[in-house]
This record gives sequence, C-alpha cells and structure tokens, in this order.
Amino acid sequence: MLEGLNTAAAGMAAQQSRIDAVANDLANANTTGYKHLRVGFRDLVYTQAGRSSAQGPRTGAGVAAIDAGRAFDQGALQRTDQPLDVAIQGEGFLRVKLADGSAALTRDGSLHVDGTGRLVTSSGAFVQPAMSLPAGTDPSSVIIGADGAVTAGGRSLGKLDLVSVRSPQALQPLGDNVFATTAASGAARPAPAATTLAQGALEASNTDVSDAMVTMIESQRSYQLTSKAIQTADQMWEIANGVKR
Amino acid sequence: MIQSVDRGLYIAASGMLAEQIRQDQIANDLANASTPGYKADRTAQREFGALLLANSTNGAQVGSQSTAVQVDNIQTDFTPKPSRDTGEPLDFAITGQGFFAVQTAQGVRYTRNGQFTVSPQGALVTPQGDPVLGRGGRTLQVGADGRVDPRALEVVQLTAPRKEGDNLVTGTPAGSAGTGQVRAGALEASGADAARSMVDMIASLRSFEAGQRVITTIDETLQKAANNVGTIGG
Repeated sequence: MLEGLNTAAAGMAAQQSRIDAVANDLANANTTGYKHLRVGFRDLVYTQAGRSSAQGPRTGAGVAAIDAGRAFDQGALQRTDQPLDVAIQGEGFLRVKLADGSAALTRDGSLHVDGTGRLVTSSGAFVQPAMSLPAGTDPSSVIIGADGAVTAGGRSLGKLDLVSVRSPQALQPLGDNVFATTAASGAARPAPAATTLAQGALEASNTDVSDAMVTMIESQRSYQLTSKAIQTADQMWEIANGVKR
Repeated sequence: MIQSVDRGLYIAASGMLAEQIRQDQIANDLANASTPGYKADRTAQREFGALLLANSTNGAQVGSQSTAVQVDNIQTDFTPKPSRDTGEPLDFAITGQGFFAVQTAQGVRYTRNGQFTVSPQGALVTPQGDPVLGRGGRTLQVGADGRVDPRALEVVQLTAPRKEGDNLVTGTPAGSAGTGQVRAGALEASGADAARSMVDMIASLRSFEAGQRVITTIDETLQKAANNVGTIGG
C-alpha cells in the first residue's frame, strides 16, 4: 500500500546524489586539470500495482542516480607564463611518483622545485622520470618542449613521461589531482603522439559553472516536487486512518 | 436495504484503492523528472462491472449501478520530448521516433536515454555496462578522440513498447523506417511534466478523501440503522 512514499524517497535520494556531485564540481571550478563528474539517472523496476492479475497495471519503484564516469574533455588553457607550468593538450597524463613510492597519474602540470632541486607537482609528487635542476639554475632558463623534453640552461635533464590509459573513466581518483590505474582502466602506456605539452600554461578545470548552476537549480526543484509526493502519501495514510473513528 | 448500503461501502473502498495506485504512478513520474528519455505514465480507471437493479416488490427495473472502480491500465506516453544540449561527446538524443538498441544479459532491450559511457574495453556502453548496438547489431568502439559517430548508432521503431526499469524498454522491433536522427552532445528531456503531476496528485488526493467521506457517512447511516431504528421515542 502506498508504495509512492518509497518511490518519492528514492527520487529525493537520487537528486541528493546529483547535488553532491555538482557541489564537488563547483568546488573544483578552479582546480587545475580537474575533470567534472557525470551523473545519470535510471528508473527502477516496474511491478504489479495492487491485487490485479498478471496483465494488470504496473507502477514503477522510482529512480536511482548512476555514476557515468568523468568527462575527460579538454579544459581551457590558462596562460601563466611560469616556466615550470605545463598544460597537457590532448588525452594523457603526466606520470608521477607519490611520497609513499606508489605510481600515479595527473593532469595538474603546475610544477615546482623542492628544497633539494627535484621537480615536483603542486601536491609534492615527483615527476617521472625523476629529474633535478642543478644548483643555482634560474627557473626561467628551463625550457619544456612540446614532447616533454626538459632543458635547463642548454643542458638536457630528461623527458617528462606522458602516458595514457585504455579507459580513463575507470581510473581511481586519489585526491590531490592524481589518479591511480586499476585493472579496468588498463596499465599506463605511452601517450599518442598528438598529445603535447604547452609550457607557461595550465589546464583549467572543465567544470562549466553555468551548466552546474542550472543542474543545481533543477535538482533542487525536483527535490521539492518529490517531497510533495511524500507529503501527499502521508496525507493519504492519515485519511485512510480516519475511516475508522 | 442494508445490502445496498453495504455495496456503497465497497464501491468507495475500491475507489480509494484505485487512487492509491494512481498516487504511486504520479510519485514515480515525479521521481523521474530528471531521468533523460523517461516516458511518463497515465493511469486509466474503469468500472468494474454493473448490476441491473430492480424493484424487489413489482420487478420494475430501476437502472444499472456500478459495483466498483478499478485501475484499467497504466498507459505510457512514448511521444518524443525535446532534447537539450549537454556538450558531452557520449550523450546522444534521438530527435524523432525510435529507440537505441542495447545488448543486455536478458537479450536486446531498447532505450531513449542516450547517456552512455565507455567500457574498460573501449566500447560504447550504458552506465550499467550493457553494450550499445550500432547498425547491423554490432557493438561500437569509442574512437581515440573519445567520440562515436552518431550515425553509426542503431535506431529502431518498436511495436507495443513496455517499460521495464533501468531506462530499458521491451518491444517488438519494427525496422528503422521513419526513425529520427541521432544527435551527439544532447539528451532527451524527461517526459514527466511536474505541473501536470502536481495537479493530478491533488485531484487524486481529494478523490481519495471523498472516498473516505463516503465510507464514514455510510458508517454513520448503518450506525443509525442498527441503534435507532425500532427504538420508540428516540
């Protein structure tokens, strides 16, 4: 009786999941290399309504939010003119090593030099292969080529490792702008030749703020409407209770 | 005498049961107001069967009376809805008639929700992981640029489509003649109309309430009949 109560509750829960995802996207609207989430919906199973026969009417059990992965489309390039900033153009990631020694991937190319001259990302992960600027090198003399080759004052330091995976959707986000490969994503392999680096620029987040705002408003209204269905179902219970006084 | 009053009681109760089903259907529409390609339902009610009433003393016919109401069926409105741009390369919308074909574990199913993603093997799949079928029933590979040519997707017409959850529809495929065009970077809006659902919900609630009033009124009448009829001097 009155399955609508649960149906509407499922609708509210699904909208809440979408609001959570949008909130995360908006919070990361200025995060370098951030890729926004895709949230989908699916209707739930349809079952016999009431006590009618097998050919009788069927009502649905509501909706659930589904994770449709991330949108890996290119974010806009922002000029920073910092010599150690690099933006990846095209698919792929920079291979890095985290402080605990594990391998990871990132699209955040805001590189720095740590206390001992090693080249690290903004969260402190070491670029791969490891490279250090010789003591006293002026960072503005560092040149990073489109293929990732790093030279400082005419001396070659190595080549940043650009990799891609078979299925970026299946990468596991570790926070700090880095991802780990999983069995589903496939192992890291050399990025296609079309992927290049742009020095002196950063890749902006691909969150579209206006889209995110519209989604948020829509979700909020849906949430309100669905809560009305719960109120109505509640009123119906009350009315049914009033049959016997 | 009591028999006919009693009948009214069951008619009112059947009306309340039918309104409950309608309320469940409306709640489902509202819950799916954001589900791309969702198709809204409409509950139809019908009489349960009529009785011919006759005067018991002279046999003259009085007329027919319905014995109850029940939900006849729940019709799904499969008319295409407008699509909106999302800019996502793996979002697809059919402008016009037709359904996308999806290979599920239960066989080929159909959907108008074109929010797809890429599988670990690089195939175009639904978020539940079922491969989307291209022309000729083949699975589709997502290109190196992360896109799929919208013309490569199979679109079929269905006879007797029926929703079965998970955005999927069953039905008998009836060729691809007269199907609409597939657009990438767009999703079809949900068919649920929030305003209509709200109005239906209020109407249904009031109907339900009226049914309850009928029951309580008949109850009062029966109470009078049981307690007061036959007493002298009130």
